[in-house]
Amino acid sequence: MAEENFSPQESFQLIQSMIAKTRRDMSDNSIYFLLWGWITFAACTGQFILKNVVHYEKHYLVWLLVIPGVIFSAYLGMKESKKREASTYIGDSMKYLWMGMGTSFFVLSMILSKMGWDTNIFPFFILLYGLGTFISGKLLQFTPMVIGGLSAWVLAVVSTYFNYDYQMLFGAAAILISYIIPAYMLRSKNKHITA
Amino acid sequence: MPEKENEMTGQESLKLISEMIVKAKRSYITTGAASIVWGILIVICSLLTWYQIYAQVSFGFDVWLLVFVALLPQIYFSIKEKQKKNFVGHDEKIMTYVWSTFAICIFILSFYNSKFGDNNGNSTALFMLLYGIPTFITGGVCNFKPMITGGLICWILSVASMFTNMATDMLFMAACGLFAWLIPGIILWKRYKKQQTADV
Repeated sequence: MAEENFSPQESFQLIQSMIAKTRRDMSDNSIYFLLWGWITFAACTGQFILKNVVHYEKHYLVWLLVIPGVIFSAYLGMKESKKREASTYIGDSMKYLWMGMGTSFFVLSMILSKMGWDTNIFPFFILLYGLGTFISGKLLQFTPMVIGGLSAWVLAVVSTYFNYDYQMLFGAAAILISYIIPAYMLRSKNKHITA
Repeated sequence: MPEKENEMTGQESLKLISEMIVKAKRSYITTGAASIVWGILIVICSLLTWYQIYAQVSFGFDVWLLVFVALLPQIYFSIKEKQKKNFVGHDEKIMTYVWSTFAICIFILSFYNSKFGDNNGNSTALFMLLYGIPTFITGGVCNFKPMITGGLICWILSVASMFTNMATDMLFMAACGLFAWLIPGIILWKRYKKQQTADV
């Protein structure tokens, strides 16, 4: 294999293009944000309707919606890992971030099953939504996600002034602002670049 | 002095990149000190709280306020490190995002706690859950296994604390401080010192 010569400037450009590529790859992964965004949004609003409109006792069962979400995410993840050419630094960071977030949500659901479903836990959920989105936004240098994360934290604080029933709606609003809207924006930005 | 542009081979470019990564890692290693400070504080505060519950005594002040004392050396270390550095590596930037986010979340969680009391004695579980997140991410991003293990221990103890009383929860909290920050911090500090000796 012939060895190419790079000027320091070209080397720098190479690094920059690698970062840009990672950003595009991550934009393709907006499917995860949309999948989990819509599942959580449906669960929050669904639980609110079941509890306050239908008056169904086991309103929390709506959260079983996450099970098909986990299966579908695992399937997508396996498919993606076969396709992936090379791992990048930002890509790896995102991987560990969302592995950490996924495990935290799992741990939180175990805690919640012991604490009871009527505990005022939604502000903590919203806090975690903000955490994942804020760091992702910073990593991808994508401002709507950073703003989404900050907004989720504001909603987390405000929701503590409301009772459990309304905290669900704050959860839905937080997921809309921090996951769904930024994910659609990321997707359209990516389409715009590749067009 | 006019700067001469040196031609580099692909291999040399890669070497430059890996040297930059090593250099950035080395500067992160110095933050082992910050990790040690946090670890010691969490261990001390947890053990003092445990002692208050166990011996049924009160020190007359909230021992967790000592955590704020950690902010002073933290600020000192970060300013000192910033002054020494000539560039900020990408991983360092990521670490700044992760740990400043963690600080914000701890602040919001403390507020949440003050609003809802102790959530039937379960707030320690939420704190330990939160401790695990930045620790695990840092371990993964920096490929530093002691912190990955520390993060996992925080999560396991978080779930375990749901089945134990407050006194035991405090021992779990001390274990989190030990495994997530103090031990990894000491390992980082030792590596840094070894590296310094090698550089001389």
